[in-house]
Amino acid sequence: MKKIKGNSVSSGVAIGRVKIIQKHELHIEHKKIYRREVESEISRFKKNVDYVINELSKLIQDYTYSQENRDILESHKLILQDPDFIDKISKLISEDLNSLEIAINKYFNDAIDIFSGMSNKYLAHKINDFEDVAYRLLSHIMDERKDILEDVDENSILIMENISPSFVTKVFEKQIQGLCTERGSRNSHSSIIARSMNLPMLVNTLGLLNNVKDGDIVIIDGNEGLAIISPTKSTLGKYNAISKKEHNIQKNLLKLIDVEPITKDGKKIKLMSNIEIPQEIEQVLKFNSAGIGLFRTEFLFIDREDLPTEDEQYEIYKDIAEQCLPNALVIRTIDVGGDKLSNILNITHEENPNLGCRGIRISLQNIPVFKQQIKAILRANTCGNIKIMFPMISSVEELSKVKKIIKDCSNELINTGIAFNADMELGAMIEIPSAVITSDSIAEECDFLSIGTNDLIQYTLAVDRDNQSISDYYKPTHPSVIRSIKITVDNAHKIGKKVAVCGEMASEKKYVKLLLALGVDELSVSPGRLLLIKKEILECNIEEMKAKLDELLSCKTSKEIMKLI
Amino acid sequence: MIRKTIKIVNKLGMHARPATMIVKAATKYRSDFKIVKSDMEINGRSIMGVMTLAAEFGSELELVADGVDEEFLIKEITKMFEDKFGED
Repeated sequence: MKKIKGNSVSSGVAIGRVKIIQKHELHIEHKKIYRREVESEISRFKKNVDYVINELSKLIQDYTYSQENRDILESHKLILQDPDFIDKISKLISEDLNSLEIAINKYFNDAIDIFSGMSNKYLAHKINDFEDVAYRLLSHIMDERKDILEDVDENSILIMENISPSFVTKVFEKQIQGLCTERGSRNSHSSIIARSMNLPMLVNTLGLLNNVKDGDIVIIDGNEGLAIISPTKSTLGKYNAISKKEHNIQKNLLKLIDVEPITKDGKKIKLMSNIEIPQEIEQVLKFNSAGIGLFRTEFLFIDREDLPTEDEQYEIYKDIAEQCLPNALVIRTIDVGGDKLSNILNITHEENPNLGCRGIRISLQNIPVFKQQIKAILRANTCGNIKIMFPMISSVEELSKVKKIIKDCSNELINTGIAFNADMELGAMIEIPSAVITSDSIAEECDFLSIGTNDLIQYTLAVDRDNQSISDYYKPTHPSVIRSIKITVDNAHKIGKKVAVCGEMASEKKYVKLLLALGVDELSVSPGRLLLIKKEILECNIEEMKAKLDELLSCKTSKEIMKLI
Repeated sequence: MIRKTIKIVNKLGMHARPATMIVKAATKYRSDFKIVKSDMEINGRSIMGVMTLAAEFGSELELVADGVDEEFLIKEITKMFEDKFGED
């Protein structure tokens, strides 16, 4: 038995037999061709290159394949259109009588040799791209990519170096148990998709590939972030039991898809989804979510070297909004730390980015970028179900500025004669203590409030939740947090406005009762957690919990509160 | 034919993004376009070629265009270099 640590992408346990997917598993036969075959080999080359260029163009437009950013795909496309590339491959075929596969392999291996010796690290990095392009082209030519999964058994766990988002979907559709990648991060597109599908997955399991062979039994423990290779009998028994239990739970949860989220005492709760990338809409629809309560738009902006255009954004917003109908889509304008955007916006280094230029502040300092996003949203709202929400609001002043900008955008759109719809609810994220305290004024200035619990906890308690050494201080049920939520809800309700919670607290079943008792109207959770939270709602009696509210609000410690809920 | 010597003024040098920009721009024109660095001459419409130059900050390149729209091509490409390819 051997254990290897990784980062867990989604919770849950999977047990299966190892199937290693090697990126370089393409078996290229070292064969020479006859002179009479040259012509057909070259036309095969052109046909395949055209196909892959076409595929890339589609990916660039559809944003469906983009762990790498659009720029990278664009540069891949340019490589395939490169006149020298075409020339050299043609020569490798017609003069040296190489098969197409060998020619391509040779070309890219030469390029990798040249570039890996370069001192400019930006260029030395390009060898990864060459590998990707070569792989994409070769795997298409050899038509192997779809075969990879064709003979893979359902009871497998895939181990690979890295994975593309489209491949994750295929793995899920084939009902394969789970997967581990040696590289990758929790927040990559592939990981987000795996999470929303509840597909057990670990990333960053360094050394795993060297420690397994096909057919080994392996356990993915998504709760602990562990891969256990060739487990002992007792370990296997333990995990079998866990896995069986999880399967049963999941099976029962799936029965709740068409059940309305109504509490025991008869209150219907609006249960919506948070999404980060457009592809997650599939899960949203599958789980019958009441729309999208938070569409984080950061993913359109990060990991790329230019800005998404207004049209590009419009297409995406419109597409998701239409799929959401008749439910609402709440779009949150860009909310990241400046550090993530430094390559496309002029942002200077900050000593303390969490208290720096992020959220609405970035938008207000980069008005042209902000306006592009607003216009794209206004245009997409011709289907009428979009709401817009602003992150990191700290006072009403920001809302006034934002409203003026929306007005300007509307006027500009009128002048250009482009269709749009400015009849749109406007919401503020409540995640800074100053916004909590002034939530009465903020509520007056907008149509709804949405509490981002992650940042609210971080800013209220002055705790960075990624800082391991102080993780004990990160307490979602700290009395200050609970009272902040209460203040916000009360202030909004006084003037008939609704409050949603879209932070992680809403996705944790242990807090659901508490949030509902505090008066929260709507919950928005990641699609993978939707049914779990629905089950909790169905089992919850708000009135019963409300009876304890006074006691709850007078608790002095988080421990006391946890005991009560 | 126009030949124009140009200096690389963006700090990161000729990496993938500037190379992409140059090739995309050059593709719009009809003239022949080559870039020369010391003894190396490459096709300005070849992304692999432009990247292979590995031109660092401060190094000099010669742009060579030949054809009906050579002036415009050189003008656009020169401006890209001068604008540091949009880098700080």
